[in-house]
Amino acid sequence: MVFLTLPCWIRSRGPDRYWKVQELLKNARHFRGRKNRCYKLAVRTVCRAFVYATKARKVKRRSMRTLWISRIAAASREHGLKYPALIHNLVKSSVQLNRRILSDLAITEPRTFQALATLARARQQEGLRAALGDGTEPTAPEQPNPRTLLQLQQNQDLQPEMY
Amino acid sequence: MMAARVVLRTLQQQTRCAVPFFAQFQRAKSTAIPSSYIPQTSLSRPPWPELPVLDREEEQKQHRAVVQKVNALIENGEYGRLFAVVHFASRQWKVTNEDLILIENHIEAECGDRIIMEKVLLVGGEDFTLIGKPLVSRDLVRVEATVIEKTESWPMVHMRFRKRHRFQRKRIIVQPQTVLRINSIEVSPGLI
Repeated sequence: MVFLTLPCWIRSRGPDRYWKVQELLKNARHFRGRKNRCYKLAVRTVCRAFVYATKARKVKRRSMRTLWISRIAAASREHGLKYPALIHNLVKSSVQLNRRILSDLAITEPRTFQALATLARARQQEGLRAALGDGTEPTAPEQPNPRTLLQLQQNQDLQPEMY
Repeated sequence: MMAARVVLRTLQQQTRCAVPFFAQFQRAKSTAIPSSYIPQTSLSRPPWPELPVLDREEEQKQHRAVVQKVNALIENGEYGRLFAVVHFASRQWKVTNEDLILIENHIEAECGDRIIMEKVLLVGGEDFTLIGKPLVSRDLVRVEATVIEKTESWPMVHMRFRKRHRFQRKRIIVQPQTVLRINSIEVSPGLI
């Protein structure tokens, strides 16, 4: 530091304060009131805006999914099925379309969505038929007797192990 | 008096018959109640829904007819614009011809390269849909795309702030992006 005369002792502050302030105020230009002009008020509001945007990006994924689900539920009820029945039976029929695509198909491709609903209903009825069986009363399966289990184990121990 | 009322009520309960009240006065008319009439109660029918009668052969005949129809449509080319649901970059896209797709990551292909998207979950036109379980076979569909642009996203601000603790962190995130143009979706008649 070489300050030979008094005028040279005048501090040279940061030369780019104006531009730093403008960079922050440009994020606040669309606000209402003095916080779109005054730096002190804008700093706080811009920080809050950035934090809200960060949190909203995470929440957007959740809310979009609930929107898709409610749309699919409405469309499937138009075809006489409920949302859980539709999704479960599509999964059982190994159709791996996600909820975004299902909601888009329900909006723009109604015939395709009807085909998917009939597929799910057919799979549901097939499952019900398999569960009902012949219509006879189901008999309880034989519980394994612990004595027979022991005997089987002993027999296995006595038998020579084959390689 | 109370005892008499109780006796009357029990008598009425014993003499109550299964036929509903209105039928007692309408028995002389032609609209007679059939003897197999069972009044609807919570136990009169099973709790599961009544399933329609299934005829395996009829069902298979119908399935074969549908498949032949769709095959004929595809062979004669009687379809207009086709759409496909494609699994690409860990996301599913509903895609048609001349579509633009913006993918939020980097792809190992240069600008101008032609790409074939092989994981097709569903293909459809106006009159038919081919639903894959889970994928449609590669011999049936062909989806071609071109890489148009490889850019970066606008600078997103990731800001963390904790009040009263003088904690503030600001980070600028820039994602690489790729733009694809879907050139064509082709279906070949290969259904059995």
